[in-house]
Amino acid sequence: MLNPPSSAMALSGGKRRARTTSSSGTAAEGPVVRYGSRTIYTAGRPPWYDSHGQLKEPFVIGLSGGSASGKTTVARRIIEALDVQWVSLLSLDSFYKVLSPEQHKAASNNEYNFDHPDAFDFDLVAETLQRLKEGKNVEVPIYNFSTHSREKLKKTIYGANVVIFEGILAFCNTEAREAMDMKVFVDTDSDIRLARRLRRDISDRGRDIDGVIKQYEKFVKPAYDHYIEPTMTFADIIVPRGGENNIGVNLIVNLVHQQLKKRGFKLRSKLKQAAHIGQPMPNTLHVLEPTQQIKGLHTFIRNRETNRDEFIFYSNRLMRLLIEFALSLMPHKSVSVNTPQGFCYEGKRLDTTRLCGVSILRAGECLEPALSEVCKHIRLGKILIQTNLDTGEPELHYLRLPKDIKENHIMLMDATVATGAAAMMAIRVLLDHDVPEENILLVSLLMAESGVHSVAYAFPKVRLVTTAVDPDVNDQFHILPGIGNFGNRYFGTESKHSYNPQSA
Amino acid sequence: MEPDLIQNSQPPAMSNGDGYGANVIRLRMTDQIKELQTVLRDKSTCRGDFIFFADRLIRLVVEEGLNELPYQKHVITTPTGCSYDGLRYIRGNCGVSIMRSGEAMEQGLRDCCRSIRIGKILIQSDEETHEAKVFYAKFPPDVHTRKVLLMYPIMSTGNTVIKAVEVLKQHGVVEENIIVLNLFCTPIAVRLVVKAYPSLKILTSEIHNLAPVHFGQKYFGTD
Repeated sequence: MLNPPSSAMALSGGKRRARTTSSSGTAAEGPVVRYGSRTIYTAGRPPWYDSHGQLKEPFVIGLSGGSASGKTTVARRIIEALDVQWVSLLSLDSFYKVLSPEQHKAASNNEYNFDHPDAFDFDLVAETLQRLKEGKNVEVPIYNFSTHSREKLKKTIYGANVVIFEGILAFCNTEAREAMDMKVFVDTDSDIRLARRLRRDISDRGRDIDGVIKQYEKFVKPAYDHYIEPTMTFADIIVPRGGENNIGVNLIVNLVHQQLKKRGFKLRSKLKQAAHIGQPMPNTLHVLEPTQQIKGLHTFIRNRETNRDEFIFYSNRLMRLLIEFALSLMPHKSVSVNTPQGFCYEGKRLDTTRLCGVSILRAGECLEPALSEVCKHIRLGKILIQTNLDTGEPELHYLRLPKDIKENHIMLMDATVATGAAAMMAIRVLLDHDVPEENILLVSLLMAESGVHSVAYAFPKVRLVTTAVDPDVNDQFHILPGIGNFGNRYFGTESKHSYNPQSA
Repeated sequence: MEPDLIQNSQPPAMSNGDGYGANVIRLRMTDQIKELQTVLRDKSTCRGDFIFFADRLIRLVVEEGLNELPYQKHVITTPTGCSYDGLRYIRGNCGVSIMRSGEAMEQGLRDCCRSIRIGKILIQSDEETHEAKVFYAKFPPDVHTRKVLLMYPIMSTGNTVIKAVEVLKQHGVVEENIIVLNLFCTPIAVRLVVKAYPSLKILTSEIHNLAPVHFGQKYFGTD
């Protein structure tokens, strides 16, 4: 064919291209997307959960309307006018069912009805929307319109602040409808829609007029009358004339802004203020026994006069002990082995194949060698979280996790935990990938009391493993007395004006 | 949550070796230490794994052993401008390895103390009398002023260690200044060594009736 009833959004703008695959997406591919002259969706995902680690529900907008009614334009206008970070766009096109050989043949003769509810996998639609609503990542199929099957690769979309779900039959399924916070129907006159369709299919896609009209009369129009138009009754807002309706679009945007404002907050500052003073330490906290050696190692790495060579050497020693300690908290199974001395020895083994490390960049990477030294061939994931200097909030910038991470016990590594903001975001990411909370071990050289309390309060099953807990955090979110900026001292990137005069 | 061993009660990392006297200390048993011992005991462990796991266990024994060395209070300033009541290690220690298997522990010591002096003793049993006999001994010249970490991974009878301590004492080392770093030993060996040198400290990871006597051969690949 192919003339999919509604077409996915090409955010890059410009001409609509004939397309072979569906294209749901987190607004688009890269971390920064420029749309016209403005950035819709900047790098770094801000927290999508509150200071207790609980999810902030994304706002889901359902967008329906007949074929060529201008749904895509309205979606674009909403995204543009919303000007919020992290908008995910989900298209119903991605959820076409895989066709059997006979159906495939019918499709190539314009005999297959792509406008009927049966053509879509609504179970998967409902499941996907539900997961997005829970802030979890989803794997959206990529539908190939030439082969009428799903591509092997899937597109990963993360829960966002706003999710827009668009499609001709978007309101058809009850479960999917229930997941929507706002339902918008784009009502464009059928003459205009037919005119647009003729222009799109004939001049842009080079199809002949008889075929287009045949398809319109046989499938598109009946589908609109029977399945699409009746769903208009579910809509909260009906936008006549589609994308050109500025007042309608502005109304939607204002409503969404109000809702988002209700759900917004400051995370890190709130974490620091959290009143945990005097509370007993949580029983998920495991601190390495403070022997003289541990205390001596701390003295070296905490001392601002320590040069980088010694700083690296002594912190590496401490990390090795920390990782060995953390391993002792992992589940071991009892085994009995035969010895060369000819007797049976009752021992324990750790299943390292179900173990993986995840480091919070940059400072968490310092712990990777220590982990690799004790667990051969261990798989390592990475998460880059940085503090936005304007807002003081952590932002997620980069994520690479081993496959099947949900089956694993995770050693989540960061050099220090001050307010716990970065650690909480990283834990949230792991939970979104279906890692059970009790399988996560947060491993850090040094933690501050407030960070321990915040993380333990938000994630009571996550175990915290460290070599020492310090009492305070200052206004720059540094631990007191602390070790300064661990990453800068380890990698030698501190500025000349920093406290460390010897490590030039 | 798994029934784990450490929790918050924080028992000491080392415990007295149950009825062997205050100077015999064992690494606190955790699942991960048990795993290291299991791999080293297992007949089917390949040599690469054997070395890898032996080095891990050695490192833990060495780190624990360093706790027996002297230290003093040391107050420092952190990069945030706070003061921190810390500790400083006192110089004047050395390592002595009993050849050949004790040499397997030298790298573990080096990994913790980069420039520590290391002496060596070669002891073998006399072919006729089966008595332990010293063939070679080389120590830092001022060994008598130092604390000595005496490294020997397997104590089956205890004869070799008794002989080595005798040599150290001949060089003027005080018995209280010697700390034996050991991986596996038998109850017989511990009793014998403690009886011979009551002031000596012994640190081990396991006291078991049968010691993995194949350690040196497997570590150095001379089976």
